Amino acid sequence: MPSTISSPALTATATAPALLPAPRTLPSTAAVFSALLRADLTTQWRNRRASIMVVLLPVVIVISWKALIDKVGGAFILSNAITLGLNAIGLMGYTNSIARDREKEIFQRLRVAPAPNWTIMGSRLTVQLIMITLMTAIIFIVGYQYDHIVLSFTGYIGGLLMAIVGGAVYLALGQAIVGRIINPETVNATSRLIYIAFIMIGMFGELGMLGDFVDHAVKYSPYGTVKSIVSGALTPATWTAETSLALAITLGYTALFAFLGIRWFKWSTRS
Amino acid sequence: MNTSHDYPVLQVEGLNIYYGNFHAVRNVSFEVRPGEIFGLLGPNGAGKTSTLSAAEGLLKPSAGTIRVAGYDIAKQPLYARACLGVQLQATSFQPELTLTEIIQLYAGIYGVTLVQNELEAILRDIKLQDHAGKRFGQLSGGQQQRVSLVIATIHDPKLVLMDEPTTGLDPQSRRQLWERIEAMRDKGHGIVLTTHSMEEAEAVCDRIAIIDHGQIITIDSPQAIIDNNRDRPEVIRASRKGKITLEDVFIGLTGAEVRA
Repeated sequence: MPSTISSPALTATATAPALLPAPRTLPSTAAVFSALLRADLTTQWRNRRASIMVVLLPVVIVISWKALIDKVGGAFILSNAITLGLNAIGLMGYTNSIARDREKEIFQRLRVAPAPNWTIMGSRLTVQLIMITLMTAIIFIVGYQYDHIVLSFTGYIGGLLMAIVGGAVYLALGQAIVGRIINPETVNATSRLIYIAFIMIGMFGELGMLGDFVDHAVKYSPYGTVKSIVSGALTPATWTAETSLALAITLGYTALFAFLGIRWFKWSTRS
Repeated sequence: MNTSHDYPVLQVEGLNIYYGNFHAVRNVSFEVRPGEIFGLLGPNGAGKTSTLSAAEGLLKPSAGTIRVAGYDIAKQPLYARACLGVQLQATSFQPELTLTEIIQLYAGIYGVTLVQNELEAILRDIKLQDHAGKRFGQLSGGQQQRVSLVIATIHDPKLVLMDEPTTGLDPQSRRQLWERIEAMRDKGHGIVLTTHSMEEAEAVCDRIAIIDHGQIITIDSPQAIIDNNRDRPEVIRASRKGKITLEDVFIGLTGAEVRA
């Protein structure tokens, strides 16, 4: 016996088992996702101090490296700042919020409701994509206002798209970390360590301060490939076969980390 | 043929759960009917929470079936969960969200449309109308439990599962919660609760199952369990004040040694 639709939010129907007193309707996936997204956006807003910290370092780099523009170019500065911001969002913001909510059994509470698992995590990832977009836009604005860095329209759009592609690497890496490690404090320590390692080795290595071997290794690390594709997209004329290779490697990293993150992830600290 | 009134809201049949080689739940079967408060009692590690977690769909059993309002939790998990209200042990809501936002979140997930008047009525009912804008993390333990209970029943579920709902509550809050649980029963909800409090089980449960080492060792009304076991030597030995209580029977049946 098919169930009836009693509200615009209730769209899915099921055949009720025999002898059931009343058939049950399910809320639509869109309604569930919308409720989750609203809550996750509100949570992100309430934690805006942490979000500001995520954007602060890239903005400081854009402002303080002004003197280097003539030497290294505006795209170099913007791509470094964006890559650092992506690092912070994926490794610090996302990873720690997932570890904390798992510790508090917030996911388990959501999972005993009729919310498909993918909507719970999809909503979190959507918030992070919004954060990536905002962070990138802020860096573009600060770069324009303080450093007078002007890109082509294609450069801005391409840069934003590659920031999202690059951000996916760090979100997936964060997922793998929070999948492998259960304790929130250990997750926090590990993600900070990796974040700092990416910054220090990535930036100094790329500038040739740590020798040729490190320079080469950084180039094909998640830091180097993401920076390369963002930089290439910001100035499309400089996009080369090597940048395409960096894009392919970036996608490969994302697939690998996402696979491990999904495979290892546990919804509860008890399981 | 079953009528809508006596159709079980929870059917657990031949439930077996393993953790590695450890057989945590052994061939557990029971039913809960609408308008019934069913208590699941047992020492630590007896298999209560594992049984409840399997009923919630959070844990995949090694064998057995669980039906919530007729829906198989393994085959139709979303439909089963739509018929299910859950109060977890931990206070598991986002601490940054206000009381109103949490209620709206779960109303949205369960597909319940709440207008402002209804939202205010819910808050009045749990005596938190003055705390609507407070964040969940700022509420007291008793207030958080009330919110948790209202979320568990916001979609008028046929079955409500409560894992140690009165742990950490003061006597006033505990009594108030009992009254709310009984009111839910009177509305026709089937309720399963786990507790370590024999006083609670005796006071509110219509039937109880005592589970130990993963097996149900007895299942009946509290008074019937006392009456059927009052002459057992181990129960008499466990008795402290001459009068046999449910706790004496529990200790007698499950042993006096402390479980890890």
